[in-house]
Amino acid sequence: MASRLLQWVSLALLSCLLTACAVYPDQPPAPQAGPAELTGVPFFPQSEYQCGPAALATSLLYSGVEVDDQALEQAVFLPGRQGSLQAELLAASRRYGRIPYRIPGTPDALIAELDAGNPVLVMQNLGIDALPQWHYAVVVGYEPNRREWILRSGTERRRLESHRRFLLSWQKASHWAVVTLPPERLPASVTPAAATLALADAERVLGEAALLPGWEAAVARWPQQPEFLFGAANAQRAAGNDQAASKRFAQLLALAPDHYAGRNNYADLLLAQGCPASGREVLSPAVQAEGLPPELAAVIAATAGELAGHPAAADASHCSDLYPLMLPEAP
Amino acid sequence: MITARVLMLFQALILICATTLSTAQAAVMSTPDYVSESTREARLAQVNALLLREDVSQQLVALGVSQEDAMARVAALSPAELQQLGQRMDQLPAGSGILGLIGAVFVVLLILELVGVINIFAKI
Repeated sequence: MASRLLQWVSLALLSCLLTACAVYPDQPPAPQAGPAELTGVPFFPQSEYQCGPAALATSLLYSGVEVDDQALEQAVFLPGRQGSLQAELLAASRRYGRIPYRIPGTPDALIAELDAGNPVLVMQNLGIDALPQWHYAVVVGYEPNRREWILRSGTERRRLESHRRFLLSWQKASHWAVVTLPPERLPASVTPAAATLALADAERVLGEAALLPGWEAAVARWPQQPEFLFGAANAQRAAGNDQAASKRFAQLLALAPDHYAGRNNYADLLLAQGCPASGREVLSPAVQAEGLPPELAAVIAATAGELAGHPAAADASHCSDLYPLMLPEAP
Repeated sequence: MITARVLMLFQALILICATTLSTAQAAVMSTPDYVSESTREARLAQVNALLLREDVSQQLVALGVSQEDAMARVAALSPAELQQLGQRMDQLPAGSGILGLIGAVFVVLLILELVGVINIFAKI
């Protein structure tokens, strides 16, 4: 009898040891949303350790990229680790012309994305902290009455996980959640900061012109955020729309007069269009600004040097279309 | 065959150089460069991106990725991601899925068996 008790005590101690006695704070309550399920999301059953390629293929195919898990293996699978890294999943999405957005790690954000028609790629830890089992799955639905999340996961096309169980495994993976979309669409729950980072990182790979719809979509949603006006202005110019780019630059400087990178790029555009006087006027505060990062200061100095090589005469009349801020002073 | 491979590597290298250095000469500042300027850490990552790409690419090759695939994979990573992978690739979680779970369960059962809490293996 006593040895039986001893066994139970040691079992309890052992399980405590294995979980490192982790105490998780209370989980957020189950969302009170209506039932949502994206039944059209495809499914790739994972083979061996390939949940990364499988979950990524699910997201990418649903966003309109013709791709399968076999092709993605080459882009994300790491044989030496028998798995796939989160950063490589993001990078692979960019290579296929999609933008991977990190969204907030909350049940409400998941519901918002499902309502907007976006499946969410999540990482889970199905093991314990001391013995982690990292896993990727795609959240495709939520059933409020039974408080269950619906996932494309592993070899199960429609896996149901209780709210508590899913949230715990998600929390042990730092609530990592990604929505992958074509450039013209933004996730419902993304923050301006996360959207800026996602668009900028994708632009390095896909080029400025390809990101034009993304920056413009962000301007439409957050008209008061300078970084989106800056991104949209640069992308408009890269796409050959100098008029539209000027409008965005002018809006940017009206909103944030001390956006010196914006002043620089606007001045460069005006110079290229044969409007050096307007360019000098736009750039002047940037030349006088102090304490700028060295890279930015160097670019501004280069632009100022180019502008200095042009005559000080007034600009031609077409420049008033590009520099609407320069209004004639009242007599 | 070998020439084609060398040519491919060379092209990838040019692409990487072009995307990294193109903005340094121009009199405009690209949006990604401006975003990277916002923090000191990001700025360092941006400056070191070229070296980091080489480093991360070598680590990928060491973990079983082909040379060509590794080059293409690192080219799509952001400077911050490159830095993260370059510093601690071996500690970052690598999602592998549920099949490995069976192994974990086995290990736990084995420990319990050895400690004497359970006695299932004796019956096999």
